[in-house]
Amino acid sequence: MKLDTKRAAVTCALTLCGALGARAQTLPSDPIVLADGRVTLGGDVSASVGPDDTGFFNYTDYEHSALRLLRLDLSASLKAGDHLAVLGELRSENAGRPRAYALYLRIRPWTARPFDIQVGRVPPTFGAFARRIYSADNPLIGYPLAYQYLTSLRPDALPANADELLRMRGRGWLSNFSLGNPAPDRGLPLASAFSWDTGVQLHAATDLVDATAAVTAGTLSHPLFSEDNAGKQIAGRVVLHPIAGLIIGASAARGPFLADTASRAAVGDGHNGDFTQTAWGGDIEYSRGYYLVRFETIVSDWTVPVVRAPAIDVPLRAQATSVEGRYKIAPGLYAAARLDHLGFSTITGTLTRGTWDAPVTRLEVGGGYSIQRNLIVKFSYQHNTRDGGRVPRLNLAAAQIVFWF
Amino acid sequence: MSVTAHGGRTALAVSVRVVSLVSLVSLVSLVFFVVAPAGPLVAGSQAGAARSGTIRGRVELRRVAPSVERRPTVSELGTPAAHDLSGRLRSVVYLEAAPRGAFEPSPPGHAVLDQRDERFVPHVLAIMTGTTVDFPNSDRIYHNVFSLSKAARFDLGRYAVGHSKSVRFEQPGIVRVFCDIHSHMNAFILVFSHPFFAVTDEEGRYRIENVPPGTYSVVAWNEGVSSEPMPVTVPTGGASELDFTLR
Repeated sequence: MKLDTKRAAVTCALTLCGALGARAQTLPSDPIVLADGRVTLGGDVSASVGPDDTGFFNYTDYEHSALRLLRLDLSASLKAGDHLAVLGELRSENAGRPRAYALYLRIRPWTARPFDIQVGRVPPTFGAFARRIYSADNPLIGYPLAYQYLTSLRPDALPANADELLRMRGRGWLSNFSLGNPAPDRGLPLASAFSWDTGVQLHAATDLVDATAAVTAGTLSHPLFSEDNAGKQIAGRVVLHPIAGLIIGASAARGPFLADTASRAAVGDGHNGDFTQTAWGGDIEYSRGYYLVRFETIVSDWTVPVVRAPAIDVPLRAQATSVEGRYKIAPGLYAAARLDHLGFSTITGTLTRGTWDAPVTRLEVGGGYSIQRNLIVKFSYQHNTRDGGRVPRLNLAAAQIVFWF
Repeated sequence: MSVTAHGGRTALAVSVRVVSLVSLVSLVSLVFFVVAPAGPLVAGSQAGAARSGTIRGRVELRRVAPSVERRPTVSELGTPAAHDLSGRLRSVVYLEAAPRGAFEPSPPGHAVLDQRDERFVPHVLAIMTGTTVDFPNSDRIYHNVFSLSKAARFDLGRYAVGHSKSVRFEQPGIVRVFCDIHSHMNAFILVFSHPFFAVTDEEGRYRIENVPPGTYSVVAWNEGVSSEPMPVTVPTGGASELDFTLR
């Protein structure tokens, strides 16, 4: 009888403790909902620590290393009926001034039809990675090279000839040219994952196909809040879902990337819409069971003015390809890896012939552990190689903690 | 806990028995030892069944849990589909401490938590320890059921429509279930070591049957919020009314 009583008491106690456990969630996990569900607030905090990136392999277009970054995101959705919603996101990096990363109006003209119009600072149309904005969506700490690595090309300054451009190989973190803005500044990535473009976007979906088209002020590599030249970018993306777990995407974008000031300095007035970035992309994602594989490739052509000899062979092409995999080892624990290469077309200078920027290859391996569903610790190790620049090879280890609600 | 997959051409049976000592210690450290009711407990469930009573009533939710669909969908290219969230109106009412006879071994149960229209159906499931829960995927898209709860930690991976995997729940407690792909999908499984519990309907009505006569503490629970334990006396062969107000 004594044994029975003890067993009963302990079992009851465990039953009770289960209930207590649910209330004792250490951190909130649901979004904050106000005004009867009309306003939803979400947050995403990530802190990455890593060694000094002396080769600037991980520097972003906001001049922060992705491996040493405190990022605070606050996103909000305000529903105004069935047809309208306002969505926005404020972001602060390394405790800097918060920026409006996204702010747009989403219009659904017919509630029963999956067709939306988005106006404002809208999500990127092009590619697969750029919309994975939350840190937990990225299985590693670094970003794919196409979306982060800074080439030497700038929207506000131009090399006068091929020699000048070749001198800047591997210096995208701080390049300078003789035409346009003479001050040293960061270059452009192929596609920016750190700021969104401003314009109008149309999206329609069926069970099998999603299609998106957008007209925006900036370009893939240089999103803008307001226009700095005469032209708009046109971008489109089609996504197929042929079977469960398989996503096949194709994207294209074209628009003038060079600012008025730079084109005027190079070729005078009347050409401010002539110098474009044209990009094509393809991506595939397949998942099943405990694994996920992603492949993405982007080809970007930039046309720049030919000013002096030795002339730059245009277009300047860059191609980035990445393969990423994730495998869940146990509940809450996964391993991941990404192999990434960024290559460039060849130009001819006075004395040398070579790629216009230094090709980069990165292997990043790592993993993550979920302390709770929305609190994740990640580790990664990068091996970076570059055919040029002051630091041609660099290994970096980093850790990151991510919390979201 | 055991995890089983079935459906399609493959049949996978993996048994994992992980008793986390740390979890157990932390649970026990939280224990408010509740002594079984001082009332005239019956020696066994069979004897009690003949004279058992009923606890019934209603759980009123002053403030319904916010209809959280999902995080702000800032990066989506269009409006995500809306989902029926009425499952949040359902509460669970249970005896805080049950008669000793309640803990006698009982046949293992079976339950289903479906994945349908990007939600778990039902949103709240109450089961006894030893119950196996099936998680079929009834959507055309992949889902990935997982839980990191102390009472059950599992990840069923991604599987397509028509397939199902199962988990046997061995430890009492509250298990929060999520989908790794769709962050707005979540459900609760409350695992009890005794059979004296009931899930309310959407109006909040509940009925706990076959309760041996005696005095008990009863708790109502909704979306992670519990009431204070309320005393109730169950007469022999009769019914007691007990209403709750939550939030």
